Amino acid sequence: MKLPGNDILIQSLLNEGVEYIFGYPGGAALHIYDAIFNQNEIEHILVRHEQGATHAADGYARATGKPGVVLVTSGPGATNAITGIATAFMDSIPMVVLSGQVATHLIGTDAFQETDMIGISRPIVKHSFTVESADKISEVIKQAFFIASSGRPGPVVIDIPKDTTAPDKLFDFVLPESTNIRSYNPPIEPEIKQIKRAVDAIIDAEKPVIYAGGGSINSNASEELIELNKILNFPVTNTLMGLGVYPAEDIRFMGMLGMHGTYQSNMAMHNADLIIAIGARFDDRITNTPDLFAPHAKIIHFDVDQSSISKIIEANIAITGQVKNSLKVLIDELNKKTNMIEHSKIKPWLNQIDEWTDQHGLNHELYKENSDTSSILPQAVVQHVYQITNGEAFVTSDVGQHQMFAAQYYHFNKPRRWINSGGLGTMGFGLPAAMGVKFAFPNDEVVCITGEGSIQMCIQELSTCKQYNLPIKIININNEALGMVKQWQDMNYGGRHSESTYQSSLPNFVDLVESYGHKAFKVEKNSDLKSTLEKAFSIKDELVFVDVYVDPEEHVYPMLVAPNGSLKDMWLSKDKKV
Amino acid sequence: MMQRKLSVILENKPGALARIVGLFHQRGYNIESLHVDPVKDVENYKDIEELLNITLKENEVSRLIITTTVSDTLLRQILRQINKLIDVLIAQEESK
Repeated sequence: MKLPGNDILIQSLLNEGVEYIFGYPGGAALHIYDAIFNQNEIEHILVRHEQGATHAADGYARATGKPGVVLVTSGPGATNAITGIATAFMDSIPMVVLSGQVATHLIGTDAFQETDMIGISRPIVKHSFTVESADKISEVIKQAFFIASSGRPGPVVIDIPKDTTAPDKLFDFVLPESTNIRSYNPPIEPEIKQIKRAVDAIIDAEKPVIYAGGGSINSNASEELIELNKILNFPVTNTLMGLGVYPAEDIRFMGMLGMHGTYQSNMAMHNADLIIAIGARFDDRITNTPDLFAPHAKIIHFDVDQSSISKIIEANIAITGQVKNSLKVLIDELNKKTNMIEHSKIKPWLNQIDEWTDQHGLNHELYKENSDTSSILPQAVVQHVYQITNGEAFVTSDVGQHQMFAAQYYHFNKPRRWINSGGLGTMGFGLPAAMGVKFAFPNDEVVCITGEGSIQMCIQELSTCKQYNLPIKIININNEALGMVKQWQDMNYGGRHSESTYQSSLPNFVDLVESYGHKAFKVEKNSDLKSTLEKAFSIKDELVFVDVYVDPEEHVYPMLVAPNGSLKDMWLSKDKKV
Repeated sequence: MMQRKLSVILENKPGALARIVGLFHQRGYNIESLHVDPVKDVENYKDIEELLNITLKENEVSRLIITTTVSDTLLRQILRQINKLIDVLIAQEESK
C-alpha cells in the first residue's frame, strides 16, 4: 500500500494502539494535523500550552502504564514541551513526543520556528530520532515505542521535518510487528546465583526493611511484592514514587520514607540490618547524607537499570533484571526454603517499629479534632478528601507542601493511583496530569490536590477541561504563600521570607474558575470544610474547584535535618528535633 | 584517581557521538582526549562480534577512544551510563 508520510505516521501510531494524542498545532506540524483531521480512530486533545500536553500524556502513562503521546510543532512548540519531557525522564515514564521540524532543506538555516530539538532535549530523553524520509516513519515509530516502554521506561523524542509528512508524495510502507535494536538489550531475567545470595541474606536478617520505589510500579510488580511479603512479613516503606505499590492499609506498611517520611520508616531504615531495595534509586531525598545512611545494613538492590545499582549506596547483592521477574524468581526460591524462615526472629524488630509508630507516628485523625475556632489544617483537608473518596480516587498533585500532605495522609492501596512529579518536582504538573488520567479512566474519581502557587503555572488547562468536559475535582490548598519555600526559609534562613509571598495579588479563584465555565467554592472556616468538599464530590458531571484557605503557618513534618544529617535526624515540629 | 582509556563501539549514526560527549558533561565527568574513527578493519573485532552475537560491516560502527582521570567507582558508573545509551554497542576500559 502507498500512502503519504502524514498518513503513514497515523497508521504507525494506530499500530501501537494509540488512543489519544495530546498536542498543539503549528506550521511545521500542519501536514500531520491534516492527517489527524481525516481520521477518527485516534482522538487528538487540544491543550492550551505544550507543557500541558506533555503532563497530560505523562498522567495518562502513569495511570495506564502505556506510553503517552505528544504532538507539538517546531521551535516554541518544541521548547515549551521540554519541562514535561524532563519530568517524565526523571520519573522513568514512557512517553513519545512527536515534534514538528522545519523542512529538511531548511535545517541549519535559522529558518522561521527552527530550533535544534534533538540537541535541546538530548540530556532529558531516553533516546531520540530524526525522521530522514517518509518511508522510515513506520520503523522509527515502532522503535520509539519499544524504547520508551521497555527496560527502564522514559521519553523518546521524534523530530519530524515537514517535508517527510508532505501529503503529495506517496511511499510504500510496512507496519512492523516487532523490532530489534542490536545495541539495546534491556535486562529481563535476574541471575539465579544472585537471587540465592539474596535468599540467604533474607533468612539471616533480624532487622529487615523492604524499600520499594517507582521502579516497582513501572514493572507492574505490586502483586509480586504483596505475595513476597505474605512469606516474609517484613516491614515495608515506599518512596514518594512508590506509594500504592504496597497497600497502605496493610499492617506492615510504615508509610513513606525520606525527607518527609514517617518517623518509623526513617528510623527503621537507619537501624536496619537488611534493606531490600526494589525499583528504588537511593536519591538524595531518601538517603540524606549518603555516608551516614543505614550504617548497619546489608543492601539487596533490585533494579532494571544497572547504572542505578551502587550509584549512591553500594549494593552488597545486586539483582539486575525486570523487577517483576526478579521478584517471581525470589518468591520461588524462598518457597523452597520456607522451613528456614523463622518469623519469631524479627518479632522484637516489629515491636520496636510499633513503638516508634506510637511515639511519633502521623496523626491520621486530625480532621476529627479540627475545631471551628482554629484555622483549617492542610492535613485535615487531605484526610477529608480521603474519607469522601473512600481512598479509591486517582490523586494527582503539584509540588510543595500540599504534595507532601497528600503523600502522607491519602492512603494508596493500589499502584498507579498517586500521580506526582517526584524526581523533577515540576510545579504545574497536577492539573494537566489529571486530564490525562481522566481520559484514561473517565468513570473514576480524579482529584488534583494543588496549591495556589502550582495551580497558576498551568491554570490555562481549565479551558481544555471545558472543551472536553472533564469533571475532575481540584482541591486548592491555599496558604497564600509558596509554602515549602517558606518552610525552608523558616527552618534554615532565619524566617526571612524572600519572594515566597504574593502580597495581595492572588486572583479570586472562584471568579477565575467560573469564567472558564466551571464550578468553584471557597472555604475559609472549618465548619464549612467537610460539607463543601462533600458537595463538590457530589457533582459528577462538572469540574469543581475548591479553594480552601488553610493555616499559613503550618509546616510539613517530619522533616530530615539537612545538611549533614542521617535518616534518624528529624524535625518533628518547629521546635522539636530528634 | 588515575588516567583511564575507554573504548566505545557505537553505531555510526548522526548524533551518536554528541550523546556520549553530552553525557560526560551532564554527569560531571571530564574528557581529556577523544578520538573517533569509523571501523574499517572489522576482522579485528571478532571478540565483540562474538560477545554481542552480531556481525559488523565496514564503516557501520565507529570506535571512540576517550581518556579521563577518575576513580574505580566512577569509572564503573561512567561505563554503565555509556552502555545505557541506545546507540552504544559496548563501552569498556581499554586493556593496558
